[in-house]
Amino acid sequence: MAGVTLEGLVKRFGVAAAVDDVTLEIPDSKFAAILGPSGCGKTTLLRLIAGLERPTAGTVRIGHEDVTRLPPERRQLGMLFQSYALLPHMTVAENLRFPLRMQKAGSLAEQRERVAWAVDLVRLGGMEERLPRQLSGGQQQRVALARAVISRPRVLLLDEPLSNLDAQLRKDMQVELIELQRQLKLTTVFVTHDQDEALSLADMVVLMREGRIEQIGSPREIYGRPRTPFAAEFLGAANLFDVEVGHVGGRWTAVLGPEATVPVEPPADGQVGQRRLALRQEDLILSRDPAGFDVALPARVATVVYQGALSRYVVEAAGRRFSVLAGKEANVDEGDELQLCWRTGDAIVL
Amino acid sequence: MVGGIPLVARFGGALLLVLVLVFMLVPLAVVVGSSVSASEFLVFPPRGVSLRWYEAVLSSDKYLSAGWTSIQLALVVTVASLAVGTPAAIALYRFRFPGSEALGSLFLSPLVLPTLIFGIGMLMLFSRYGSGPSFFALVLGHLVITLPYVVRTVGAVLHGADRHAEEAARTMGANLWQRYWFVVLPQCREGMAAGAFFAFNISFDDAVVALFLRAPGIDTLPLRIYSELEFSPDPSIAAASTVMIFITVAMIFVIERILGVRRLAGSGR
Repeated sequence: MAGVTLEGLVKRFGVAAAVDDVTLEIPDSKFAAILGPSGCGKTTLLRLIAGLERPTAGTVRIGHEDVTRLPPERRQLGMLFQSYALLPHMTVAENLRFPLRMQKAGSLAEQRERVAWAVDLVRLGGMEERLPRQLSGGQQQRVALARAVISRPRVLLLDEPLSNLDAQLRKDMQVELIELQRQLKLTTVFVTHDQDEALSLADMVVLMREGRIEQIGSPREIYGRPRTPFAAEFLGAANLFDVEVGHVGGRWTAVLGPEATVPVEPPADGQVGQRRLALRQEDLILSRDPAGFDVALPARVATVVYQGALSRYVVEAAGRRFSVLAGKEANVDEGDELQLCWRTGDAIVL
Repeated sequence: MVGGIPLVARFGGALLLVLVLVFMLVPLAVVVGSSVSASEFLVFPPRGVSLRWYEAVLSSDKYLSAGWTSIQLALVVTVASLAVGTPAAIALYRFRFPGSEALGSLFLSPLVLPTLIFGIGMLMLFSRYGSGPSFFALVLGHLVITLPYVVRTVGAVLHGADRHAEEAARTMGANLWQRYWFVVLPQCREGMAAGAFFAFNISFDDAVVALFLRAPGIDTLPLRIYSELEFSPDPSIAAASTVMIFITVAMIFVIERILGVRRLAGSGR
């Protein structure tokens, strides 16, 4: 096992750069999620690590070995494709043994033992002699996963593996992936466009935009402390406002509208002027008693969207529209006049 | 399931189906029927029942040697068109290269050009630059008209196959040859079977190209039947044709056995 190091990695298709100067270090046995909208270059980045694409510039290192010029068949990686890419004419057992056969790993008896281990790992006992088309989507996925790890790869690469599954199966597979990764202590790189998936699975989230890295951090950092409006928006901050940030008499403030100047925490770069203020919809509170909050703005509830456990409230305050997520206890109806509150620490100046 | 379909349409559909079956099966029934006739002449309905014409065909050197030539020819053509057509289809449908579109159309052109013109062209070519008509010329001529089918059927299954399977095999350590042997060729198999079926039948059936390209001593079964029909039309022709039908049906089973295919004539997916 080994970490992955990318240095100044560039991949151009024609003039367009799919991956544009990416430098990144994924430590040994960590679970990294590469997150971004479609077309941000995340899949190309994964394919560069796998060796399925040749970089225009830069280096790829696995452990201490420079593999930039090494073809994929010699990189000793495991990769799980979005389409699973099982060989349709081979049974489950034959599919699982395929990497061992190709790499001439051990005797036939050892290979069979390893196949049995892999079948056990993904709980597919009894399915060994089936063909892929006789399996459900979730089972096919588990075969593909077992096949990707059977030859003890140095790194496991996952290309949107859960996107073809339905919601419940997806949740089950997430748990399975985490457990597998911890059990095998495999350095894992996971590509996804789903921020919930990235946040719940990864030790480390790499947010990409237009071929570049927008922000790297732990799920907590990247969710709680987005550094750019793009990061805030992509990670689900529904409330983003243009504000005028000022610094007077040791206090930092943001002007949301006339009669609506709110205190904020000092921004990381200490700059004043036109900035953006990000507020998560679950950090906003609708209350008739604003005591205990740093900010309270008079507000009117415009729309309530029932979503089961929670409801989403569209609220007008300071001439802006806010989106608020709250449970039943909020006890609010459309047209109600009340206070929109939050704590200074929850407002992020970008 | 058909509740929403008006009665007239249902009736019309049934009528069409019956007509199709009549047009497809009645000629076969006529041939098979007149082959068991006891009469000296080729007539339908048959007069009396007798297998004498089968005896005549199966003890005739002319028919037997022509049949043997046809089988050999069809087998050689089938193997050759698989050997040439499969790699061609892989190249055309797997890799996009400059001119691949044009090359694809060129491969399919024998489908649209009249076979007669083709035969004449081939004859002139072989007479000018080769040793004239021969078994080899016949193989080449048939290869040209069977190739489009192999390219088409193999291409169709490749088109529907998971392209990532090859890349996945790469990440699992398979080198170029292993990827072709374990991934690409098995993907082609159904298309190869369908292509082989077409190639065998077209070659076995062909009378037009063979008319131009056969050497004087070589006779194929369709040509034999044709010349018998011209000079001495008796029920042996029908018997020979029935044997031909049986050979074709037998061939379907053989190909099915070798290449293991369920949807022989389908587009592959």
